Order: sequence, then C-alpha cells, then structure tokens
Amino acid sequence: MVLLNVDGIECRYGSVKVLENVSLSVKGGDFVGILGPNGSGKTTLLKSISRTLKPHKGTILLNKDDIYSLKTVDVAKQLAVVPQESNIGFSFSALDVVMMGRNPHITRFQMEGTKDLAIVRKAMVVTNTWQFAERPINELSGGEKQRVIIARALAQEPSILLLDEPLTHLDIINQLEIMDLVQDLCIKEKLVVLAVFHDLNLAARYCTSAVMLKKGKICAAGDLSEVLTSENIKNVFNVNAIVQKHLVSNSIFVIPLSPQKPPAAKRCAVHLICGAGTGTALMKILLDEGYSVTAGVLNVLDTDFETAQFLKIAVTTEAPFSPITEKTHTANLKMISEASTVVLTSVPFGDGNLQNLEAALAAVTMGIPTFVIEEVPIERRDFTGGKATALLEELKSKGAEFVKDQNELLSLLNVSVEKLKIAKKERDRILDHLKPGEVSKKIK
Amino acid sequence: MCTDETESTYFQRASRWKFIVIVLIAALVAIIIVSLNVGYAPISFADILKILGKQIPILNGYVDSSLATLSPVELREFQAHAGIILQMRLPRIIAGVMVGAGLAASGVVYQGVFRNPMADSYVLGVSAGAACGASFSILFGTGFSFFGLRLVQVAAFIGALFAMFLVYNISRVGSRVPVTTLLLCGIAVNFFLYSIVALLEVIAGDELHAIVFWLIGGFSNVKWSDIWAVFPFIMIGIAISYFYTRPLNLLAIGEETAQHLGLNVERVKQILLVLASLVTAAAVSLSGLVGFVGLMVPHVTRLIVGPDHRILFPASTIIGSIFLVVCDALARVVATPFASTLELPVGIITMLFGAPFFILLFRKKKESYAL
Repeated sequence: MVLLNVDGIECRYGSVKVLENVSLSVKGGDFVGILGPNGSGKTTLLKSISRTLKPHKGTILLNKDDIYSLKTVDVAKQLAVVPQESNIGFSFSALDVVMMGRNPHITRFQMEGTKDLAIVRKAMVVTNTWQFAERPINELSGGEKQRVIIARALAQEPSILLLDEPLTHLDIINQLEIMDLVQDLCIKEKLVVLAVFHDLNLAARYCTSAVMLKKGKICAAGDLSEVLTSENIKNVFNVNAIVQKHLVSNSIFVIPLSPQKPPAAKRCAVHLICGAGTGTALMKILLDEGYSVTAGVLNVLDTDFETAQFLKIAVTTEAPFSPITEKTHTANLKMISEASTVVLTSVPFGDGNLQNLEAALAAVTMGIPTFVIEEVPIERRDFTGGKATALLEELKSKGAEFVKDQNELLSLLNVSVEKLKIAKKERDRILDHLKPGEVSKKIK
Repeated sequence: MCTDETESTYFQRASRWKFIVIVLIAALVAIIIVSLNVGYAPISFADILKILGKQIPILNGYVDSSLATLSPVELREFQAHAGIILQMRLPRIIAGVMVGAGLAASGVVYQGVFRNPMADSYVLGVSAGAACGASFSILFGTGFSFFGLRLVQVAAFIGALFAMFLVYNISRVGSRVPVTTLLLCGIAVNFFLYSIVALLEVIAGDELHAIVFWLIGGFSNVKWSDIWAVFPFIMIGIAISYFYTRPLNLLAIGEETAQHLGLNVERVKQILLVLASLVTAAAVSLSGLVGFVGLMVPHVTRLIVGPDHRILFPASTIIGSIFLVVCDALARVVATPFASTLELPVGIITMLFGAPFFILLFRKKKESYAL
C-alpha cells in the first residue's frame, strides 16, 4: 500500500514564507481534504508534493523514498495531478490529451499500444468524455475540459491523486459523478487522494480526513468530524457556520452564515416575544441591523432558543416543554423593562405560553413601544379557547402597533429609531422619578 | 456514438502519418528535379535524369550505354550540362533542402518549447549573432580561409553559437531556464548585436553590398564543400530532435503538466534548445539570414497536419525544404527576363511570396486556429 509522508516542510516564494512546519501522513484509501481560505497555502502544499516547488526545509517521502531524489518519470507513474486550470493552446484532440497520461509508462522509442488505448478508453468512459474523444481540447467547455484532464490523471494509473479544486468548472451532476468516481477508486484501489476544496460541503461529503490550513500552518488535522467544526471554521475562515450531521446523506454539512458586518451602531434594544421558530430570522436580521436583541420567555430546546444560543442572545428561559412559571414571567418582565422596543411574533398560543401575551401587555402599559406581527391570523393559532384572542384585542386597544410581516416591522423600526430614542429618554426620566419599588408594583 | 470507430481511427493515424511523409518526400524529389531545369542554360529533363543517373552506381551502366550513341559534339555538350547541373545547380538546391529543413525544424522546436506562436528559428538571437560574425568577417577577413571553408561561413556559425550561449546563460536561474526570460533575453541580445551590425554597415564602404546580401540570405556561389561542412550539424540535429517529438507534445501543453506526466522538463528543454540552435546556426552559416521559413512553415504545416509534433516535426522539415527550393527556383527565374546575371537573394522571395500566402491561409482557417 502506498504511503505518503510529509515531514515538517517549509516553502517560500522568494522571501515570503508560504508554508511552515507542515507535516502529514497519508496511506492508501485515505481521502484527505485540504481546506483553508485563499492564500493559506493549500495549492503550495500540493505543488511541493507534486515536485513543482521544492521545500526549503523538511522532506516528502513516497514509500520511504525522498520524492525529490526520484526520477520524474518514476514519480509520474505513481502520482497524478489535476491542476486548478489547464490552458492548452494547441488543438490536440481530447483523446490525444488523455493519451499523454500514458507517457510515463511508454519509453521514448515506443508508440502507444492497444493496452494503452484500452486504459485511456476506460478512463474516458468513466469520466464521461469518450463521446467527444476526437474533438479538439480547446473547443471544449470548461467542464468538459476539466473532465478530460481528470481522465488523463486516471490514465496515468496513479496510486496518489492530487486534485487542486478540481470541481470549479463543473456543474453539480458532474461534480457528484466525478467525486463518486474518485471516492470509489480511493476505496477499491486503495488510492491516496489529496484534494483542495473550497466547498466545505463537498469536502464533508467525500473526505475521510482533512487538514485545515491558516496562513501556511496546519490549524487542525485529523478525522473530518474533528476538523470540520464551527469553532475551526470560525477560527480559520472567520465565518460563523452551523455544522450538523445530515439526516439523509449521513455526512456532515456546513451552513455558513453571512459574515457579520460590525453593526452600524447599537441603536436600541429590542426584546422579542417569540417561540417555535417564529423569531429565528428576525434575531439575525435585527442583530445585523445593529440592534441589541433579547428574547423570552422561550422553552429550552425550542428552535428560537437554539438560534438565540447560537447568536449569543440573552434569553429568559423555561424548562423544556413546561408552562411558564410566575418566576420566569417576572424575570421576563424585568428584561422587557430594559428594552426600548418589544416585538411580538406570530407565535401560536396555548395555556403554556399565554403569559407571554400578558408580558406584551405589560410592556405596553410600561409605555414601551410594542409591535405585533400578524402574519398568521390569531384565530388559527389560538389554542386557549379565545383567551389569547381577547388579550390581543386588548393589546390593540392599548396602542400596540400591528404590522403584517417582518419587512413592515423593519421599515417601521428604521424610521422610528430616532423616535424610539426620544421615547426611551423620556421613559428613563419618568423612571428616575419613580422609586424602584413602585416600578415593580406597577408591573404587577 | 464513436466507440470502436474512434479506436480504429486512432491506430490508422500512424499509417496516415507515414503516408504523409512519403508523399512529401516524393514531392520534394520531384521539385528538386523540376528546379534543376530552371536556369539560364536550357537543359532538358531527359538530360537531367541521365546526369543524375550517372551518379547513382546501379543506373550507371544504363546511362553509359545511352551516352555511347551520342556524337562527340553532343557528348561535349552533355558534359558541359553535367557540369552546370552537378557543380552549379545541384549544390544550390541541396543547400536549399538543408537550410529549409533546418530552419523549419528548429522553428517547430522553438514554437513548441516556448509555446509561443511568434517564436521562430531566430528567437534566441542566433540570427543577430550570425549576422555579426558574418559582417565582421566580410569587413576584416577578406582573403582568409578556414580549412578550405569560406571565412564568412565559419564566422557566422561561431557568432550564432556565441549569441545563443550568451542568451542561455543570461536567462538561466540556477538550473532552470524560464521560457519568458529566455524570450526577453533573446530579444535584448538581438537588438544589441544588430546595433553592432548596423555600425559595421555604416563603416562598411564598398563591402556594404556584400553585407546586405548576406543579411537577406541566398545561395549564390554555394559549393559542395560548404554543404559538407554543415551537413552533419543539420542532419544529426534534426535526427535527434525527432526522438523528442512526444516530449515536445507534452511541453506544448505546459511545463508544469509535462513534469507531472513524467517529463524531465529542464533537461529536455536544454537538449532541444541546444539542438535547435546548432541546426539554425549551421543553416544560416550556409545561406545567410533567410527569413520567414522558421516562422511560417511550422504554422502552415500545423494547419495541414494538426498540432501533434510526431507528424508536425517531420512534415515541417520536408515542407521547409520544398518551400526553400521552390523559392530559390523563383529567385532564379524572376530575374532572368531582365538581366541574365542578376540574381535575387532567396530571402527576398521567401518574404515577398511567403507572407501573402501565409496571410491568405490564415484568413481562411483562423477560426480553427488558436495557439
């Protein structure tokens, strides 16, 4: 079985260090993803393994031989490379290009034989390129060309396959077909596959292990599930991402979230009364808009609760699947009293969370601007036999603002920011005049 | 769609290539015989064939028996014709064959190694080096000879190799020779050496005519000894290069890829550049700077036979020979109506007729021609 050992290599372009102390060891059957942002040294690592860029320090061993002391042709018998982009100016046919993959196996004075053609044909059939074997390479589309290059690598019959973002030009079906094929070879023929991926989900789907590079250094390496975590992604890519195991494909999947722009200003505090996922989108949007956000009361394990956890939003919580107790209700009211705006989403109401409506009512009474989103009519989400409907009517009569959806809410919020600021100042002034005890009395 | 058909056509290709080469060689031989007929003195094809046949041992007896029937006057005329053919026209034509082959072959090699359609035989400064050497020897070396060879030939050869050596060493980075620096150094050295040539032309006086003639390139006064001197360089250079045609294919698709496919890129490049430069130097030392052959012939041939160097190289070599022999014949014919002694340098013809032909061909096939 083939063994590749990279030991403490350091690579430079001129005086710029691009890789530093990179070590990894892979054996046949390993499918290793090389991950990292632009400029982290992924391609350089592949280049040093493929003998294009000799490291200044460290060794790369191919089955115990230093790869730089081997003959070029002997390396090519074992190691094939699919580069990021291939620019072939001459109009060689696709078949000619794939046949070039046989070069290391043919001596200078030989012609290609039937055996070579059989191998080439097989490589072209599995990469779905045989049907345009005779067309000139420079007239093929980007995806077709890339498949021809992959076929050429396969025609080399390598035991190590280096892929440098091999799927950039391919549509989704070709991406999956090619990667399925490579995975198959990796498992059945015990190939080593080292692949640079930009798409973390493709990496997650096919790799058995991964190396994550940051500024030329290995930041994480090992089993995929150990490397591909939201902490590592945040650390290396500076992107928040949700990493979960997919129920259908049983592979890890990554949902990157848009990078958080630094909020323009902490304009005001919004308290969300939500639940069952009705507040999830709003939390992210409000944070991005620069509001500070709180929420409650939410049951632990509720979707909105998990989102709030992820976004590090302060929440008043209740035990899972339990009705709201008086204690949490009071805590929620305290949180509300610190907010400058309250938003009530279209959450369904049962006896368990009816107190959240009363909390909204208390907010209106306190003089905090309160918005009610009515995306779903109350009749369809009132499971309290009319109690919720009545409370909502009361909210309306006491001056809560009703909006039809999130967008309307956001436009109202943006417009009324200044108004809210003034309102908050006034409220603070009033509160200053009241004694602390009186506030809580009033709330009760 | 095309399964087994593709396979069988693939293997038929080798025999198609052989066929192309045989047809081209036959065409070359025919053109040599036709152009032996071209010239001031009218000599019939029958006589030409007899004269040539007399040189070939097997046909010798047959020709002798047919000569036996001639009268003494006719025999004397035949012998005079034999002198014209064998000592004047044939060396010229063989020189054309060799120079055409050499320039075209090295043009293919340079275009392949440099992956640049503008590359030609003179890309490494060989032309300027040869011009420099030749101009010096014309100005300062009159009367000298070098083991029976014309001094200008030896000086041109040495100048060309000197220029190549200079370019190669300036652009070398450690053990590697990056193609881009090689090209740029070639251009720079070319300019530098041509400035010396220009200086020599300014001070040349009466010898200016000789220098200009040499710079344009031609075959007047070529002798067999001149040919034998360069024959080994050109023939051996071409023969060895032929074994590097598959590596040339790999180089043509990119150095990095070629290395991934098992080619020792730097060594192969070195070998090919040295061989091509030797061939070019030998060719220009014989003919002067015949232009355009090393650029145009590979391009035209590529349009005909495709980019695969295993056929492109031999086909270009032969087409280069044919092209130069035809041009030389034209050079002799065109001037004849005006003055029997005036002879155009062949370099004028290659450019005058070659360039429009090239443009015409290009316009027709430029869509399919991406390099």
